[in-house]
Amino acid sequence: MATITGYTETAQGYQDNTNVAVAAAPKHPNPPAKTVDTQSVLKRLQSELMALMMSGESGISAFPEEDNIFCWKGTIAGSKDTVFEGTEYKMSLSFSNDYPFKPRRSSLKPAASIPMWMCMEIFAWTFFRYFLFQIFLAGLDKWSSAYDVRTILLSIQSLLGEPNISSPLNTQAAQLWSNQEEYRKMVEKLYKPPTAA
Amino acid sequence: MATEGPSSSSAVVCNLAILDSLTDDSIRQIHDSYTGFCATTATLLTGAGDLSVGPEFIAHVHSLCHHGLHSLVRDHFLKSLEEIFEQNGASKFWRHFDAYTNFALLSKNQPPSYKDQMSEGRHPSDAERSHLFSRYQLLVSSVLMASLPRHFPEILHWYFKGRLEELSTIMGGEFNDDESQDKDEMDLDEKRKISYRTGEMDIDECSHQGRFLENNKLVKNIGKVVRDLRSLGFTSMTEDAYSSAIFLLLKAKVHDLAGDDYRSSVLESIKGWIQAVPLQFFRALLAYLGDSVSYDSPSSGLKSPLASHPSSCYPGIDTPSQGLVRWQLRLEYFAYETLQDLRIAKLFEIIVDYPDSSPAIEDLKQCLEYTGQHSKLVESFISALQYRLLTAGASTNDILHQYVSTIKALRTIDPAGVFLEAVGEPIRDYLRGRKDTIKCIVTMLTDGTGGNPNVSGNAGDSLLEELNRDEESQENTGSRNRRKVDILGMIVGIIGSKDQLVNEYRVMLAEKLLNKSDYDIDSEIRTLELLKAGVDIWHSLCCIRIFRLHFHVGTVILQIHFGENSMQKCEIMLNDLIDSKRTNSNIKATIAQTPLTGAEPGASAVSMDILDATIISSNFWPPIQDETLNVSEPVDNLLSDYAKRFNEIKTPRKLLWKKNLGTVKLELQFEDRAVQFTVAPVHAAIIMQFQDQTSWTSKNLAAAIGLPVDVLNRRINFWISKGILAESLGADSNDHVFTLMEGMVETNKNGGNSGSCEEILVGDDEGERSVASVEDQIRKEMTIYEKFIMGMLTNFGSMALDRIHNTLKMFCIADPPYDKSLQQLQSFLSGLVSEEKLELRDGMYFMKK
Repeated sequence: MATITGYTETAQGYQDNTNVAVAAAPKHPNPPAKTVDTQSVLKRLQSELMALMMSGESGISAFPEEDNIFCWKGTIAGSKDTVFEGTEYKMSLSFSNDYPFKPRRSSLKPAASIPMWMCMEIFAWTFFRYFLFQIFLAGLDKWSSAYDVRTILLSIQSLLGEPNISSPLNTQAAQLWSNQEEYRKMVEKLYKPPTAA
Repeated sequence: MATEGPSSSSAVVCNLAILDSLTDDSIRQIHDSYTGFCATTATLLTGAGDLSVGPEFIAHVHSLCHHGLHSLVRDHFLKSLEEIFEQNGASKFWRHFDAYTNFALLSKNQPPSYKDQMSEGRHPSDAERSHLFSRYQLLVSSVLMASLPRHFPEILHWYFKGRLEELSTIMGGEFNDDESQDKDEMDLDEKRKISYRTGEMDIDECSHQGRFLENNKLVKNIGKVVRDLRSLGFTSMTEDAYSSAIFLLLKAKVHDLAGDDYRSSVLESIKGWIQAVPLQFFRALLAYLGDSVSYDSPSSGLKSPLASHPSSCYPGIDTPSQGLVRWQLRLEYFAYETLQDLRIAKLFEIIVDYPDSSPAIEDLKQCLEYTGQHSKLVESFISALQYRLLTAGASTNDILHQYVSTIKALRTIDPAGVFLEAVGEPIRDYLRGRKDTIKCIVTMLTDGTGGNPNVSGNAGDSLLEELNRDEESQENTGSRNRRKVDILGMIVGIIGSKDQLVNEYRVMLAEKLLNKSDYDIDSEIRTLELLKAGVDIWHSLCCIRIFRLHFHVGTVILQIHFGENSMQKCEIMLNDLIDSKRTNSNIKATIAQTPLTGAEPGASAVSMDILDATIISSNFWPPIQDETLNVSEPVDNLLSDYAKRFNEIKTPRKLLWKKNLGTVKLELQFEDRAVQFTVAPVHAAIIMQFQDQTSWTSKNLAAAIGLPVDVLNRRINFWISKGILAESLGADSNDHVFTLMEGMVETNKNGGNSGSCEEILVGDDEGERSVASVEDQIRKEMTIYEKFIMGMLTNFGSMALDRIHNTLKMFCIADPPYDKSLQQLQSFLSGLVSEEKLELRDGMYFMKK
């Protein structure tokens, strides 16, 4: 499964949440049938990388870091005709040994699943974190092993443009959403282009 | 006289001690004498050569000396002398130079005349005389020094320059009578003055002058001037002047001799000139000055055998003096340095016409051995390269040829190859950035016709042949393998690995072999052997490297292995051709014995003779361009028949036709004439369609032949350009109609070639190739890597070449795995940069926004 974490973390509390997730994992012993060795995860990730590279999908991209194929960096460009157009967001993705069969997240409690999530360099956490976080939770509910890096990235990209604001965690952001012009201004104000890695 | 007061008072003080012993008479006498002495001194000194008061002066001096007043007399005389000289003499002396007159006019009349008076007027002992002289000299030189005009060294310099040029001209035997006449007069004039000045009527010299050599005289004149200047205390200034004049002259001579002609060695003639002119001059001068030193010393007497001495020493001093040897060394070093600088500055041009300019290289080598300024060469040459060769305007071929010439030339200068390494590096780096480098190298190595013929000695020979010839010609020298290895190794060094070279060669070989209409592969075999021989030697070079660099052992062995592998492939390709020849005749032999079942005897029996197959082991050949092609039925039948027979002979092997490869000789028969062509199969297939139907639309024709319409439209141009077919617009604007031109005679431009002219198609039009070029193969592979590179750069922002290389190695392990060298990646990346997909800043690659 994919764990996506912000890599330019500025929020406090991130570390705590990570610990929660790690602690939560043993509670859910993996079914033997689904235990796969590192080798096959490796193969799967390699083929995903190949597929992602060859797909030529514009607006989403991810690539393993230096020498560890379990740690990727991803880039999402805001979709056209959304308030996020022209912005670009970086994230880190890390994969566990049983990817892609089981999401590590054990409950739907948002706090516990923060390590699943990402950080967008651009927005101060305070403004956007929970909002985005919630978006992804919705996506993760439908997690299946058929998901791969590419689909994760794509769904994040599309969720950026069409957030689920029915039960917002960041109410301020959710309220603002209704006024797209204001929202765009906010995005522009808070956006800073990703620095070169 | 202003000095009288102080002088007389000092005299009074001096006289006090001996005052008692003096009578009134003598005191009066002294006083009179002294007054007279002072007056005559003044008259003498201001009188400028007026010696009428001489006897009176002498009488006064005698009288004073008689009373033991030597020192008084001396002091007073010198003091007044100095003052007068300072007032008049010095300025007059220098005024002589104001008009930049020839030094010959140097008339030191003033001081010497005083000297004369001194020596005349007094008769002290020799020792005292010399003491006086030295005091006098010190006085004069200090006064002159103090009032030295700024341009005096310059005048000295001009003087010596002029003299030396005369001397040089005389030595060169280029003077004519008029000039010598003038000079003679001038010299005589000068001589007279000098003679007058020294107060020695050198009759010997004058009478012997006639039989002296002109130069000898000249040297002596210079010697005199030098000596005079020395006696005036200008020793170092004089030396500076004449040495700088000589160096200047030598420099001009070197430039004159060396010039822009690199076809002859000039070092010997320069050395000869040094021996002939400046050294001769120094020899004479030193001999002369040796004289003058002894002349100055009191023991040698007044008369110096000026006439006989130089002539006796002129033919050669048996043991060259230390000074002469020192001068020779200085001059030679200077000459070497000058020539070296000259050659280094022009090294680029010299190397451009290298084989012809080897004398210049040889000169340079000797110069550098002497001066040891190799680094100068490296720096200057590298910058010349950068400005003149490594620019976008220079073709890769030219750069390569210059590279080879550079290797050859510099290896002469520096057999160890250290500087060559330094110089070669920028060229190699630059060439790595060019896309066609490998192809050019292979062409240059294996194919003489494409190369630059004016570089190698024999036009039309491949570089390999040339290297081989070099080697054979050096059969007996110790370094016979080095030569070849060096150049081949350094050329291969550009590419980075020999595999790439061999691969490129393989593609070229395949192209050549596939387009052959016979089985004659002698020249290819020869080239391959040469290449292999080169590679073998390269292997031994690798082995030497293994000993030196232990950590490289693995890679090197791998390289050797791959190298042999690629070579083997080339060998197999050639063997395929040989086998094809045999198989071909075997198959044809079967026809006579057993007509194949199912085949139409008539068609195949007639046709089989015209078919020659090249049977290739496709695994060992470079990827071959595949193109479907429907050939006409009779030919198709023929081909399948051939394949069947092959299968019978070579079971279980089967023959797979590559119908688009090879060549077809065909004859088009028109009503009135026949034209022969040698064409690619696709052209043959096209024209054969018109056998039964004289007009086709492009769509239908494409379908019949099995080609895409656009390819057909491209290929059919061949026939249109030959005037065989005509193109016209059909009903549909996209659908062209091609019609066979029956009345071809009128349209055929080559009227004179009508009949059985054979038009040979050299190479396919529009760069169609039967074999995928190495670049194409690489480009195809690289498109995958491009996506990876884009992916990583999107996520990491910027990356250095190394990191991209390593990341590709790590993650791009799908099929085909990333196996490119750093150089290949670099050239690929620079391709992406030029396509404006990437940016390169400070060694980091960025995505182009």
